[in-house]
Amino acid sequence: MTTTLPPSSAPTDPDRPASFSGTHVLGEPGQIDADGVCAWFGGRIVLESVDLVMEKSKVTALIGPSGCGKSTFLRILNRMHEVVPGAQLAGSVELDGVDIYGPGQRAMETRRHIGMVFQKPNPFPAMTIAENVLAGLKFSRISPANKSDLIEESLTKGGLWNEVKDRLGELGGALSGGQQQRLCIARSLAVKPRVLLMDEPCSALDPTSTLRIEQTIKEIADEVTVVIVTHNMQQAQRVSDYCAFFLAEENQPGRVIESGRTEMIFGEPTDQRTFDYVNGQFG
Amino acid sequence: MTTQTAPEGILVTTTSASTQTPPAARPPVTERSADGGSGSGTGSYEPPTPPRPRRLPSPIRPSAFGAEDVFLLVASAFSALCLVWIVFYQLTSLSGGLGFLVAWYFTFLALVWLGTTQLIERQVATDRVVGVVVVSAALLVIGLVLFIVVWVAYKALPSIHWVALFTKDQKNFQVADPNALSQVGILHAIVGTVEQVLIAVAIGVPFAVATAIYLNEVKGFGSRTVRTVVTAMSGTPSVVAGIFIYSMLILTGVLHYSGFAASLALVVILLPSVTRVVEEVLRVVPSGLREASQALGAPEWRTVWSVVLPTARSGVVTAVLLGIARIVGETAPLLFTAFGSQVMNLNAFSHDQASLPLVIWSDVRQAQPVLIDLAFQAAFVLMTLVLILFVLARIFSRPRGRKSGKRRGGNRPAEDDFMARIFVPIPIEESTDR
Ligand SMILES: Nc1ncnc2c1ncn2[C@@H]1O[C@H](COP(=O)(O)OP(=O)(O)O)[C@@H](O)[C@H]1O
Ligand SMILES: [Mg+2]
Repeated sequence: MTTTLPPSSAPTDPDRPASFSGTHVLGEPGQIDADGVCAWFGGRIVLESVDLVMEKSKVTALIGPSGCGKSTFLRILNRMHEVVPGAQLAGSVELDGVDIYGPGQRAMETRRHIGMVFQKPNPFPAMTIAENVLAGLKFSRISPANKSDLIEESLTKGGLWNEVKDRLGELGGALSGGQQQRLCIARSLAVKPRVLLMDEPCSALDPTSTLRIEQTIKEIADEVTVVIVTHNMQQAQRVSDYCAFFLAEENQPGRVIESGRTEMIFGEPTDQRTFDYVNGQFG
Repeated sequence: MTTQTAPEGILVTTTSASTQTPPAARPPVTERSADGGSGSGTGSYEPPTPPRPRRLPSPIRPSAFGAEDVFLLVASAFSALCLVWIVFYQLTSLSGGLGFLVAWYFTFLALVWLGTTQLIERQVATDRVVGVVVVSAALLVIGLVLFIVVWVAYKALPSIHWVALFTKDQKNFQVADPNALSQVGILHAIVGTVEQVLIAVAIGVPFAVATAIYLNEVKGFGSRTVRTVVTAMSGTPSVVAGIFIYSMLILTGVLHYSGFAASLALVVILLPSVTRVVEEVLRVVPSGLREASQALGAPEWRTVWSVVLPTARSGVVTAVLLGIARIVGETAPLLFTAFGSQVMNLNAFSHDQASLPLVIWSDVRQAQPVLIDLAFQAAFVLMTLVLILFVLARIFSRPRGRKSGKRRGGNRPAEDDFMARIFVPIPIEESTDR
C-alpha cells in the first residue's frame, strides 16, 4: 500500500549520534525518514502508517485532496503537531538517522533544524524586516558574528534582497503578500535549517509571486531539503524531484497511495487513483 | 504646475517631467490630444508640450444627503416643536422641560418617517429614522462630554490663581482672607494622586498582564474559573474595595492610613479591568504568529514576550491607560485608606495623604466659596491630567520601526499625523482565524 521512495542513502554507521544537535553542520541539508507515522486529533485517527523518505537536497512535494492529512504529516515532521491540544501521534521520524521523537530530544531544538513556512504569510508585525530575519536567532539566543551579512545572505536566498535592501528598517507588515512570504522564507533560512517544510506557501499569493517563490525553492534546494505541500499540480511538477500522493478515502484516515519520482507519479502512475488525481479527475 | 480655471467641473493639473516649462513657452499647437504626450514617433524636433489640464465631469454621489433631505429634517424638527408645544401648553397643561424634550424628539422621529415615506418610500424612511437615532445618540454623548468640560472650566477658570494652585497646599487657608485663593492650592492633592496611581499601576499592571497571559496564552488549569472570578471582580463596587483594605489591613494594624493603602484599594479596581482588556487584545493577535514563532524554535515564554506582546503593544498601552482613567477619579476607596489631608505629604507610605478626588469631595461641600472654587479647580486639573495621559499614551503606543531613515510608502500614513495618532483607534492587525 505505502511505497517508500527509491532506496535511501540513510547513514547506516553502527554508532549513530544520539542527538543531531551536536553533529549539525550549518547549511548542510538533511534527510528525513518517516516510518509508520500515524496521527490522531482528539482520538480520531486522521493519518495511518505513512512511510516516506525525504531525500537530502531534494524537493519532495506532498499532493492530495484537502483533508487527507498533508498538513498534519508535515507538522509531525517538525514537532508542530503536538502543539495542537488533543493531538497524538505514533511512528518515528528520523532526521539524519536520529529519531526526533526519541528520548531526550527537545521540540524546540528540532524545530530549529527543521524550519517551516506557513500557508498564510506571517511576518512578525511588530518587528522590522531586518529584525524579522534575525528573529529565529534571537529566540535561540544566538548572536551571529555579522548581522548585516546574515541579513543580506538570507534575504538574497529568499529572493527579496533587491526589493528591500533600502528599507530594512520598515515593519514587516509594510510588504506585499508575496514579499511577506519571501521574508518568511528568509527568516526560516536565517537559522540555517537542514530541512524546510512549506505548507501550501503560494496558495495565498498571485501568480507572479508564486513564480518567484518557486524560483527561490529551486535555488535553495542544494542547501536545504525542501518538503512542500501543494494543491497545484503544475507547481508540483515544476519544483519537485519526488512526489507523494496522499488520499483519505471516505471514513478512512489519510494514507500515502503512491510515491516516487515526480516524472513517474505524473507520467506513469501505477495506481488508478493517482492517475485520476494528477489528471484532475477528482479532488 | 499650470492651472486654468474652467467654468464648471473639476480641474486636474497633470504633472510630469515637462511640468517645469513655463506657460509662455507653450507651442502654438492647439488641436492636440489632451494627454500632453510629446509625440515621440516624429523625427523633427518638437518642444516638450506642457501638460494640459484635463476636464473631468463634476462628480456626483447618487445617494448623497442633499439639500432636500436637510430641509426635510429641519422641517420635521420645526413642525414637531410646534406640534408638541400646542399639545403641551394649549390642549393640555402639561409641563416639564424634560418631558417636552422627549415628546419633541419622538414626534420629530415620527415626522421624519412620515415625510420620507411620502417623499421617497418606506424602506428609506426606516433607514433614515434609524440613522437619525444613531446620529443623535452620538451627538448627545459628545454634547454631554463637552458640557461637562465647559461647565467645570466655567466654574474653575474665572477665579483660578495658577501659581498658588500648583505650588501651595491648603494649610494656609483663612476664612477671613479676601485673597484666600492666592494662599491655597492643590499641590498636595496632585502629588498624592500621582503617587497613589503610579504605585497602583506598578503593582496592578504586571499582575493584570500576567493574568491575561495565563488566560489567553497558557490556557492553563482553571483558566475558565479565573476568567469568571475576574469578571465578577470587575463588578466589585469601589467602596467595597476600600472597605476591604480598611478592614483587612488598617483595622488589623498592618498599615496606617496612607497613600500606599489607597494604592492597594485601587489595585483591586484596576486589576480586573486591565486584565479583561489585555485579554481581549491578546486574543486579536493572529494565532499564525505564535505558530511561526514556535516553528522557529522559540520557547513559549519567548513567543509571548517577543512576538505576542509587541504585536499587541498599542492595545496593552491602551488597556493600561483605560485602567488609569478608571482609577484616577475613584473617590470611595480613598476615603478609608488615604483619608485625605490638608497638607503636603510626600511619603505615600506613611500618614494621611490627599488626592484630587478627595479634595473635590471634601471642598465642594464647604460653605466658603473659596473652597468651592478650589474644588472645581481640582476637578479641572483632574480632567486635564486624564487628557494628558491619553495623549501621552497615544504617542507612546505608535508602532515603531522607522529607526533607519528612509521610508517609502509605508501602509500606515495616518500614523504620521499627530492628531490621527491620538484619535485613530488602536490598529487591530488582523482578525483571529482559529
Ligand atoms: N486542529 C485540528 N483539530 C481537529 N482535527 C483536525 C485539526 N487539524 C486538522 N484536523 C483534521 O485532520 C484531517 C487532516 O487535516 P489536514 O492535515 O489539515 O489536511 P490537508 O492539509 O491535507 O488538507 C482533517 O480531517 C481535519 O479535519
Ligand atoms: Mg493543509
